[in-house]
Amino acid sequence: MPPLLDVRNLTTHIRTGRGTVRAVQDVSFTLEAGETLGLVGESGCGKSMTGLSLLGLLPPGGTLVEGSSVRLDGRELVGLPDRELRTVRGNDIAMVFQDPMTSLDPTKTIGHQVAEPVLLHRGVSRAAARERAVEVLGLVGLPQPRRRLSDYPHQLSGGQRQRALIAMALANEPRVLIADEPTTALDVTIQAQILALLADLRARLGMAMILITHDMGVTAGNTDRVNVMYAGRIAESTGTDRLFSRMRHPYTQRLLASVPRLTQDPALLLPTIPGLPPDLADPPTGCRFADRCPYATARCRAEEPQLDGTAEHRFACWHPVDGPAPAEIGGKVADAVAGAATGGGEGAAATTGLAEGPAAAGTVVRPRAPEPAAAAAPLLEARGLVREYPLRGSWLPGRDRRVVHAVSDVSFTLARGETFGLVGESGCGKTTLGRLLVGLDRPDAGAVTLEGTDIGTLRGGELRRRRRDLQMVFQDPFSSLDPRMRVSAVLREPLRIQGIGTAREQRARVAELMAEVGLPERGLDLFPHEFSGGQRQRVGLARALALTPKVIVADEPVSALDVSVRAQVLNLMKRLQAAHGLSYVVISHDLAVVRHLADRIGVMYLGRLVEVGTAAEVHRRPAHPYTAGLLAAVPVPDPAQERAKRGAGIGGELPDPAAPPSGCRFRTRCPLAQERCAREEPALRSFGPGHTAACHFPLVAPAADSPSDVAAGRP
Amino acid sequence: MTAYLLRRTGQAIVVVIGVMVLTFALIHLAPGSAARATLGTKATAERIAVFNAANGLNRPLAAQFATFVKQAAEGNFGTSYSLHEPVSTLIAQRLPRDAVLLGLSTLLALLVALPMGVYQAVRRGRAGDHMLTVLSFVLYSMPDFFFGLLLVALFSVQLHLLPSQAPQAQSVGGVLADPKALVLPVVTLALVSLASFSRYMRSSAIGVLAQDHVLVARAKGLPEHLVLRRHVLRNALLPVITVLGLAAPAIVTGAVIAESVFNYPGMGLLFYQAATSKDYPILLASTLVVGVATVLGSLLADIAYTLLDPRIRYDRG
Ligand SMILES: Nc1ncnc2c1ncn2[C@@H]1O[C@H](COP(=O)(O)OP(=O)(O)OP(=O)(O)O)[C@@H](O)[C@H]1O
Ligand code: SF4
Ligand code: SF4
Ligand SMILES: [Mg+2]
Repeated sequence: MPPLLDVRNLTTHIRTGRGTVRAVQDVSFTLEAGETLGLVGESGCGKSMTGLSLLGLLPPGGTLVEGSSVRLDGRELVGLPDRELRTVRGNDIAMVFQDPMTSLDPTKTIGHQVAEPVLLHRGVSRAAARERAVEVLGLVGLPQPRRRLSDYPHQLSGGQRQRALIAMALANEPRVLIADEPTTALDVTIQAQILALLADLRARLGMAMILITHDMGVTAGNTDRVNVMYAGRIAESTGTDRLFSRMRHPYTQRLLASVPRLTQDPALLLPTIPGLPPDLADPPTGCRFADRCPYATARCRAEEPQLDGTAEHRFACWHPVDGPAPAEIGGKVADAVAGAATGGGEGAAATTGLAEGPAAAGTVVRPRAPEPAAAAAPLLEARGLVREYPLRGSWLPGRDRRVVHAVSDVSFTLARGETFGLVGESGCGKTTLGRLLVGLDRPDAGAVTLEGTDIGTLRGGELRRRRRDLQMVFQDPFSSLDPRMRVSAVLREPLRIQGIGTAREQRARVAELMAEVGLPERGLDLFPHEFSGGQRQRVGLARALALTPKVIVADEPVSALDVSVRAQVLNLMKRLQAAHGLSYVVISHDLAVVRHLADRIGVMYLGRLVEVGTAAEVHRRPAHPYTAGLLAAVPVPDPAQERAKRGAGIGGELPDPAAPPSGCRFRTRCPLAQERCAREEPALRSFGPGHTAACHFPLVAPAADSPSDVAAGRP
Repeated sequence: MTAYLLRRTGQAIVVVIGVMVLTFALIHLAPGSAARATLGTKATAERIAVFNAANGLNRPLAAQFATFVKQAAEGNFGTSYSLHEPVSTLIAQRLPRDAVLLGLSTLLALLVALPMGVYQAVRRGRAGDHMLTVLSFVLYSMPDFFFGLLLVALFSVQLHLLPSQAPQAQSVGGVLADPKALVLPVVTLALVSLASFSRYMRSSAIGVLAQDHVLVARAKGLPEHLVLRRHVLRNALLPVITVLGLAAPAIVTGAVIAESVFNYPGMGLLFYQAATSKDYPILLASTLVVGVATVLGSLLADIAYTLLDPRIRYDRG
């Protein structure tokens, strides 16, 4: 019997203005019913294009090159007339896309969109198609599916939209489901729910699934076999367990090593892959990974390795490795500090030819977070911060004055040289809090003090001077910038506004900043769009550093970046902190990133800080059920661990912040909730030095109740 | 949604009042007087005084404005200085005729421009798109009157297919009863708007085609014509509607040309003559009509937008 899906020598070329992009090259794999195949790799490596090629959905200018073959149950799909191919799409092979916010037609109801493929392929009546829509919407766990039929996409949350999209794909019980980054745009808690749903449906319907993702943690827990793709080719292909424990391709090894983990030693730098993937319009001869590979030899640059090996483990490499890289491969943070002064960089980047990543050598020791005694005089302090936004239209007469409780009574301190991490689901008020901290927004109550001065009371020149000490770094620093401004102007702007130095001094400072963040001076003449994402974030950091601030608030500093580039930027942030004694407030939805950077962690839920503690404590002994749930939901790149916890995590979605639940705000999703939780709002209690949480029924005993909190049980 | 529409209508009324104040002020502050324009430069001081007194022009501006507003509310715009007829009669004769001409030509322009814009977006960068782009720019850059004359020369003078004059009937029914004579003026005006409408539609459709939900629709197995009709057209129309609402004044100026070329006395010609002879009552009234048309245009556009876009329909409670 032929395999369900048999793909051979799939090669996709896209003709563009800058030449032919070889998006997919010679990709072959098979897929059996009930099996999940992972397609992983960095951005632009051809994962999506492989999925789209299977359905014949190529972008303008795209063609499948002679020799490509896609067989579904023995039937060749390549070369089928469009009319016949359309009977396969959405019927035998269906696809779910990354962004639930843009994947639904905003002008059509959910019911219409889910019923559409049923109507199209099954030739049933409108009423029958609607019934089927209700059925599948129920199947994917959308509450009250019948009522949702007449809703429009904007009335659904992101998680609900993704459920609707999955329902749409499943409506005709396809045999193959291609899920292209189905959870990348979602919160970890919702991600865990959607992944569990997909696994469940696959088992129940006996579907085969291709799971496209860049997240090694998601891959670990949700696939049976994995194809690692690099620059349009399969680099390695084997069973999931084997890939994580006994990989042979250097790219797989380095990709895995650069993922920040919850268990990582924060004193170590993350191993990085220098540079960027090659331009697919002009791929190098020889191995495509050679420019970034630590093991490359002359043979690698001359001769392209073919995918080879046994049937269960294939890889394309002349000098295969044997298993994972050692953890210390990245080097120590402390050692990297002086490296910046001597300059230099490893590898060459593809797009702009700029060097990425600082070299490492030297022995400046990082000024560690101060002892608790010094914390008595914090650098930055938030006291009882409250920020509420009135809902639109609520000023009209005859309407309730409704407000969104973005930040409710948040207090914490930040010591000199310390990093405070803020985590929580999207919409929990992290960004609003960040803006309050740097004075971009004013609190409705409470105060932010910097070295004892309330920044809310400052005016004019004094305020401007104090602002220097508080800088912010954004997810993509250039989205808020004039695209016609050169980097030199971008970096000089803060100096000019503050009137610091002569023109010559400013230019010198700008050059210094570029070296500081590991960019060559040549980059000063470039425009923002000429930089890669990682380089842009470096410029963002340089801009924040220009005024030698004391505190940098970084809002999702690496969320927009690929794994390997993310590691480079995280390392840079650590090095800058060590070199300048900076204090950071790092805001991220990614617990692993926060764990890696932060000394202390604050967990936010619906505007409230529900738990604060040292990173190690919060990770090892979470007291609040929400913290524990968040930690459980983070996918870790370890197949055994991931499979063990399937189904764990937090159910439900973030409630409406304009109408938070009474008592404990988390109670609607809390597995431990009791009647008291609805009645009484829990106060913050101590769980040991510097560790507080607000819960009536915490997972560990509070400090006051138990003399030996070390003995308290873990969840 | 009802509350939103009421609020929006309230806004529109305020804008119309603003337009009245502004035009009244502008016209009365402009140099040269109505009396001299009407009576000629040799008029004696007494004759001017008599004229001003008869027409209330010697009263304070505020008083004149108050009278104007009060009368306008009653549908009384005074008597034309030069044509010696009530302005309301003049407008009542011409406005409906213009509405027919402008309505038909705008409709025709849309019927062609919307599919044309989508077609160009789909075939972006290929021969069909390039040809239509060139055509649009030619249409756009050609003066309207030249265009009208060209069509007349071809279809009535050369081929004797169509009359060179627009229907001369006074009533709307009469105008519509002579469809052959309507063809050239309607087509001329339509071609002028066609160029800009199709450009807007093209760029808007290109944006929609790049959106994920279009790919999703294709992945469902929908044939391309259904993808375009169900998931592209309506989404692409949304930004175009706003532009349409603001196009009202441009359409009205286009009318001036078509009216003179095809000898179709409408508001455009009336306004033009009034402007040269400083016929205040007509100027005020017709400025008001154009102002109201513009405000109404953008109000209608907003209402259409609200109906077509569920995001707004539900948000603006
Ligand atoms: N419409 C297009 N026209 C031209 N080139 C394209 C187009 N879409 C993708 N490409 C190119 O094809 C290659 C593969 O892209 P693809 O989208 O498959 O990557 P990916 O692995 O899915 O990346 P990501 O993780 O960012 O989604 C890239 O070099 C990309 O630049
Ligand atoms: S073939 Fe050479 S360059 Fe390519 S991955 Fe293997 S060792 Fe590295
Ligand atoms: S207070 Fe109650 S509802 Fe809230 S987290 Fe604790 S147990 Fe759960
Ligand atoms: Mg992709």
